[in-house]
Amino acid sequence: MFKIIIIILQLILFIIISPVLSGLISKIKNNIRMRKGQGILQPYYNLAKLSSKGEVVSETASWIFRITPFVVFASMLVSALLIPVFILRSPLNHAGDFLALIFIFSLGRFFLALSALDTGSSFGGMGSSREMFISSLAEPAFCMAVFAVSLQFGSTDISAFSGAHTIAVSSIVAGVTLFLVTIAETSRIPVDNQETHLELTMVHEAMLLEYSGRSLALIEMAAYIKQMILFFLIAQIVFPITLPVYGNLPQIFFWILWYLGRIIIIAIAVALVEVSVAKMRLFRVADFLGLAFVLGVIASVCAILGV
Amino acid sequence: MQGIILFTVLASTYLMVIAKRMPALIRGFRYQSFCLFAFTLFAASGHDQPDLYIIAGLLFVLKVSLIPYLLYRIIKRIKVNEDLGLFINPQLSLLWALVFTYLSWIFSTHLIISNKITLTSMLAIAFFIVLAGLFLMISRMSALAQIIGLLVMENGLFLLASTVSGGMPFFVEIAIFFDVFVSVVIMGFFVYRINKLFTHIDVNKLSRLKG
Amino acid sequence: MSDFFPKQFFLFDPLSLFFLFVIFIISLPSAVYSLGYLKGGYSSAKITLAWFLLLIFVLSMAFVVTVSNVLVFLVFWEIMSLISYFLVVFDTKHEKSIQAGMIYIIMTHIGTAFLIAAFMMLYKHAGSFDFNAIKSACQIMPGQTKNIIFLLLLAGFGTKAGIVPLHIWLPYAHPQAPSHISSIMSGVMIKTAIYGIIRFVIYILGVQSSWWGILLLVLAGITCLVGIIYALMVRDIKRLLAYSSVENIGIILLGVGLAMFFQSMNMPYLAILSMIAGLYHLINHAIFKGLLFLCAGSVYKATGTRDIEKLGGLIKKMPQTAVYFLIGAMGISALPPLNGFVSEWLTLQAFFLGALNIIGGAKVFLVICAAILALTSGLAAACFVKAFGITFLALPRSNYAKDAKEVPLSMKAGMFFLSLLVIVFGLAAVKIIKILALVSSSVTGFDISSMSFSFNNFTLSPQADKHIYLSTPLLALLLIVLGVAGFVIYRLFGRGKTIIYNTWDCGYYKIGPRNEYTATAFSKPFRIAFSFFLLPYRKTQKIRESFYHVKSFAYETYTTPVFKRYIYEPLLALIFKTAKSMRKIQLGSIHLYLGYIFITLVLLIVFIRQF
Repeated sequence: MFKIIIIILQLILFIIISPVLSGLISKIKNNIRMRKGQGILQPYYNLAKLSSKGEVVSETASWIFRITPFVVFASMLVSALLIPVFILRSPLNHAGDFLALIFIFSLGRFFLALSALDTGSSFGGMGSSREMFISSLAEPAFCMAVFAVSLQFGSTDISAFSGAHTIAVSSIVAGVTLFLVTIAETSRIPVDNQETHLELTMVHEAMLLEYSGRSLALIEMAAYIKQMILFFLIAQIVFPITLPVYGNLPQIFFWILWYLGRIIIIAIAVALVEVSVAKMRLFRVADFLGLAFVLGVIASVCAILGV
Repeated sequence: MQGIILFTVLASTYLMVIAKRMPALIRGFRYQSFCLFAFTLFAASGHDQPDLYIIAGLLFVLKVSLIPYLLYRIIKRIKVNEDLGLFINPQLSLLWALVFTYLSWIFSTHLIISNKITLTSMLAIAFFIVLAGLFLMISRMSALAQIIGLLVMENGLFLLASTVSGGMPFFVEIAIFFDVFVSVVIMGFFVYRINKLFTHIDVNKLSRLKG
Repeated sequence: MSDFFPKQFFLFDPLSLFFLFVIFIISLPSAVYSLGYLKGGYSSAKITLAWFLLLIFVLSMAFVVTVSNVLVFLVFWEIMSLISYFLVVFDTKHEKSIQAGMIYIIMTHIGTAFLIAAFMMLYKHAGSFDFNAIKSACQIMPGQTKNIIFLLLLAGFGTKAGIVPLHIWLPYAHPQAPSHISSIMSGVMIKTAIYGIIRFVIYILGVQSSWWGILLLVLAGITCLVGIIYALMVRDIKRLLAYSSVENIGIILLGVGLAMFFQSMNMPYLAILSMIAGLYHLINHAIFKGLLFLCAGSVYKATGTRDIEKLGGLIKKMPQTAVYFLIGAMGISALPPLNGFVSEWLTLQAFFLGALNIIGGAKVFLVICAAILALTSGLAAACFVKAFGITFLALPRSNYAKDAKEVPLSMKAGMFFLSLLVIVFGLAAVKIIKILALVSSSVTGFDISSMSFSFNNFTLSPQADKHIYLSTPLLALLLIVLGVAGFVIYRLFGRGKTIIYNTWDCGYYKIGPRNEYTATAFSKPFRIAFSFFLLPYRKTQKIRESFYHVKSFAYETYTTPVFKRYIYEPLLALIFKTAKSMRKIQLGSIHLYLGYIFITLVLLIVFIRQF
């Protein structure tokens, strides 16, 4: 019974809070660019607007185009349920572990890439080609980060590193690896640009070009959730946190602050990276992800050495 | 008596080696076969084995009469130059034949260590006949020489078997005779065909067909 | 069963039964499929011949995995290779079939030569051809001999399995065979080579040196990457599937190599786990690769071409085939909750637990191998997005695809059965692992009574105290429930109707199939990223009307076939050169040949004096 409450709470949290994160990052970016920019709550308004609009579906598209939003949304929610948020053990511990997370991400990506090819437009094909390229190179880096963390804590269970008391060097390097992978997976500069719709600079947006209305809202929501999942993971790896002592109210208050604060720190880091560097050429992304892979190997070696 | 017959076999082989034209070669082959026939007859009466009479008869019928007759017919049919086409001239061939005789004599003395000189000499002559047949095949250009060389080799093997090892089983002998006869017929046919196609039976010229 | 067949020739232990199961579970749907596939394309005499050859082929494979006598094994191995050669050149109209068959028969016989060498060495040491006798003799065999026999067996079975660089026949032979045969060849025949490796190396020879497992892991890693990179480049759908088979053999051998490695390190639990992972991927690959080849055959039968650049939009014309292909593609890309996901997850877990528990420098090596597996998994997903997307989705790119029709029922039945198996083998993972544990323990000789690989009937748990769980039924349930929830949200919130309209064309009103993405374009980033290995070649040609107006533009690109050009062609050139130089003694003259014999004879006589 307790589990079901936790599951529902976790789902609601992810669905409701994740757009804020995106809004926060764009607010920070705009602040650095000395613009007023959009508000933090803008993504909510976007989603509401999309939900109220009708949809235009391409006549060349098939049923794959129609079911992709639901598949992507479902896979992201399942991933969200695998992460420990409120308690130290994820509510659906028995469904999968850290390695399974990689594969569940690829489920959503597979269908999104197929739906992009489904419409028959060159943008879609280009987007799906680049997205599969980037994600296939990001997978070894992601896998290395997972291995590093798991070797350090002795299990690939996502909850394994939840109760850590000290920060290990391998965790920090694995966190940096995961950070680089997050930039690739959430389509941020220097890998991809979320703000533009120019074909030179789109990867994720190119795949979504034909979507409109509520389907687009579902896919955007899935992207926000994915971002939040990855931020949570990095936060827990790099800044491990343990449960507060029950009953000590000031400590609980500071605990909540620190709990949210570390995610905000990562958001600030992402925003800084986005603002500081220019978007890379697609083939340079291979080098970028290669760097992430090497860092992952270093993290694994540190974990093996026990550092 | 045996020694004289063996000596005549040797002489007929030398005759074949120095033959310059086809009829001479076939004649030498007939002499050789006749001597072998006499030898077998002698052995048959000496050992009193009825099989040997039959073999001797077959020898006479096939190798003394039929096969040379077939070969004569082939020569008449294809109307080629009766010249055998020698790679090695008769005098040198004779010299080589003598060398081979000596070599086979040494070979047989190493093989059979016995006091009986007849056995050694029989082996030597038999082996020499095989070598001579091979030599014929190598040093003559005409296809007919190949056929006769094969037949001479078979003669030598027959002599070897009947002297040193006391003869081969009866049916094997019959089978060999049949084999030889059929192969001569076939080879004769092929020689005819080769001539028809190339208007000669010079095997040397056939080397133009190499891959 | 063992008293029906004479006991001295057959061995029905769990490994053989498992492989028998694999053989029949793939051959039966393929046979049903061939009912519809062969009709109409061939004369009835040829169809009878096809059935006859198929029967002998399946029977020979069944005998290969069940005999317990080395000589009989070789006989049936040869029969299997020969019959598959006849099946590869079955389509004698295409000259490519003849060429493919030639390459196949030569490569498979090179492999058999290595096998014969290995078996002769085994016989010499054991004095008998029987498996059990050889097994007991191998326990006292010196280490050097074992190493040599291992290398010979690896080369022999590696040729049939398709380990790089002996894989070169696979992309030629598998596309040319009729599709149901391709599915059996790719699904089952190359697995018999894995059976050979497991039976002869692990069961009979007995793994004692750790470098055996490491060598196999290195080779398997290279095979994975080479296979999938080439698969991304090709445009013939069956060649793509053949290269993907090479990749999956690499993944299977990662599991088997790990098992050998752990067995040499005397770590029973991990050895059994990796062996389970390898065998699980073996049967999974048999199922989904068999399914994919049958679907490719359906596409070929419906459209007449295997070139995916000429296809497209088939999902509307052949909806059922598209679903089956999608299920197969999802399986091979290791998407949850299907079967490929479970076996790849298990292999990664074996790597992780190995890296955790093993002592020494092998840890980093195992971690890097796991990264290679992750990379090939990502590339495989990309490859099958391309294969499915370009073939089935969007608009037809040519008339071949426009006139496609759905395939007859028998073909659909075969594909349906296999796609059902893809799903079942994903959801019923726990049951299957229990069976595979029995098989692994019979092969490696470790006792599994104290091992448990599952938490309950639905959840896998590779190591009990580490709280690592995977439950594919639960994942499937979650995905479906949340998908439906998403659909409910979709329906509830917002209003507005859906309009069907043209694809966005940037205002260029003449959009059509030419604007679609092509397969070559899809794989371009991969071609560039791996160009150090693929050595692509590009040629462009512009035909200009005037300086400013380019009338037409020709673009040609291909990738260098590295193995063919740098390994096999020099080897062949060397063989031809040697043969040519041998020609010099063959002048065509009979006299010369006879002279050779004569001189030898004379020399022998002369030299007899020495003795």
